[in-house]
Amino acid sequence: MTAIEVNGLHKSHQGFEAVKGISFEVAEGEIFALLGRNGAGKTTTIEVLAGFQRADAGTVRVLGLDPYADRAAVRRRTGVMLQEAGFFPELTVARTVETWRGFTAAPRPREEALELAGLTARADVKVRQLSGGEKRRLDLALALLGRPDVLFLDEPTTGMDPEARAAAWTVIRDLAAQGITILLTTHYLDEAQRLAGSMAIMDEGRVVASGGMAETLAARGGRVSFRLPAHVDPGSLPLPVTVERGLTVCHADDPDLAAQTLLTWAAERGLRLAGLEVRPATLEDLFMERSAR
Amino acid sequence: MSLTATYRLGTRLFWRDKAMLFASVVTPVGLAVGLPTLMRYVTSGGVANAAALAHSTIAILLAITAFMNIAVALTGRRDTLVLKRLRATRLTDGQILLGQIAATATQTMAMIVVCTVAVRFSAGVPLPADPLAFAAVTIAGSVVLSLLGAAYTAAIPRAELAAAYTMPVFLVAGVAAGAMGPIPLPAWLRPVLDALPTTVVVDAVRTGELLTPVLVLAGWAAAGVLALRLWFRWEPRRS
Repeated sequence: MTAIEVNGLHKSHQGFEAVKGISFEVAEGEIFALLGRNGAGKTTTIEVLAGFQRADAGTVRVLGLDPYADRAAVRRRTGVMLQEAGFFPELTVARTVETWRGFTAAPRPREEALELAGLTARADVKVRQLSGGEKRRLDLALALLGRPDVLFLDEPTTGMDPEARAAAWTVIRDLAAQGITILLTTHYLDEAQRLAGSMAIMDEGRVVASGGMAETLAARGGRVSFRLPAHVDPGSLPLPVTVERGLTVCHADDPDLAAQTLLTWAAERGLRLAGLEVRPATLEDLFMERSAR
Repeated sequence: MSLTATYRLGTRLFWRDKAMLFASVVTPVGLAVGLPTLMRYVTSGGVANAAALAHSTIAILLAITAFMNIAVALTGRRDTLVLKRLRATRLTDGQILLGQIAATATQTMAMIVVCTVAVRFSAGVPLPADPLAFAAVTIAGSVVLSLLGAAYTAAIPRAELAAAYTMPVFLVAGVAAGAMGPIPLPAWLRPVLDALPTTVVVDAVRTGELLTPVLVLAGWAAAGVLALRLWFRWEPRRS
């Protein structure tokens, strides 16, 4: 079943068209990554989906409801972690969670929320004393308080140290395993690739690539890279190659086969392909290619 | 339940903000108790003049503890995106604003009661003859001024300008109610100043007449609600 549907969404701010007719769907229980450079329109899309802004054109449905017109109903079943939102700096972490529990029907116990976000040890610290990464964790704790069916996470791990980020990934995976639908934006492509089952890449307000993460990357094949001896003409190689930052790169549907072909060719000529690396396509390859167009 | 939560939050934050406490509590209470006490003992006007000034200073409490405090608090929370975060919860816009307005109005009412009792002892100003009427009009005044302060945030471009933007309101409210002493004013201005919500509360406390003040306050409340609906901003302007 579809949890989130976006169909032909347009949204402008003061004459600037931030989102230009995008469409995508997120299945129930799926983790969906919305990717793009700064200004691509990701946050505007999340803000429309979370009911903060009304779509100029197109339709948006979250759990079958219009998030702007039915904001109260949608809020009961969604959690939102905004990219930018303030806290009350004088309240402690525990008091902040306790206060937010008062805004939530049947909230998680305070200790459970703090533990989920890894903030138990910081419960008595005032919010103004938290680091940027800790504030993101508090953000996550608040978004999870109401046991939402759909979770919007805008740059959820920005500012977190590697350990906290790994812990946040575990929490996000566990939530998805419980059937919660998660739409996240991130600048960390490895994060998207590790977590998300599907993705869409946005650029200048449009979706330039989308689909299941595994299928999309598998369809792109992979690459073989190596350092070609200086006296060898790249044009003499048995496969088409490009030279990228001093490395000779061969993009191929089956990178293992391409590597074998190249190594056999080199062995026959007594050449050494130094630093040879074979890897499948990554989200970064796709992202750089699509968002650079 | 959620309204209670926003009310409690508003109350907690009112007393936590030490910088604002000086402006919202210490200064107006100092004026509302100090001026009538000075009037009683330093001038020859006696208790009558002290009582008149004590009534006038209710306008100062309303302008500062209700109007200025809520305007500064909401503008600050708007600009630091705290209001946006509150809107990410299940709270409705009405619950967020109403809880804050009720909390500010309660603190204002508490200050008015404290000052009324304090000037009874410090300057011999008699307690209100009709406590129920006094309570009704000061509660209504506190709510309306808190509501208007919330609506006024739409006119304040940035949080750091909030106190400066509310200063003219404080001065006009104080002058109109006579809390700044006898200031000569053009005759045409008097009816305008008499229609201010702060002035009608002071007049009602002074005369005991309730009908006209309540109608005027209802008009201001309607204007405040309309302004909130039309112009209230939950987020800072996008540059």
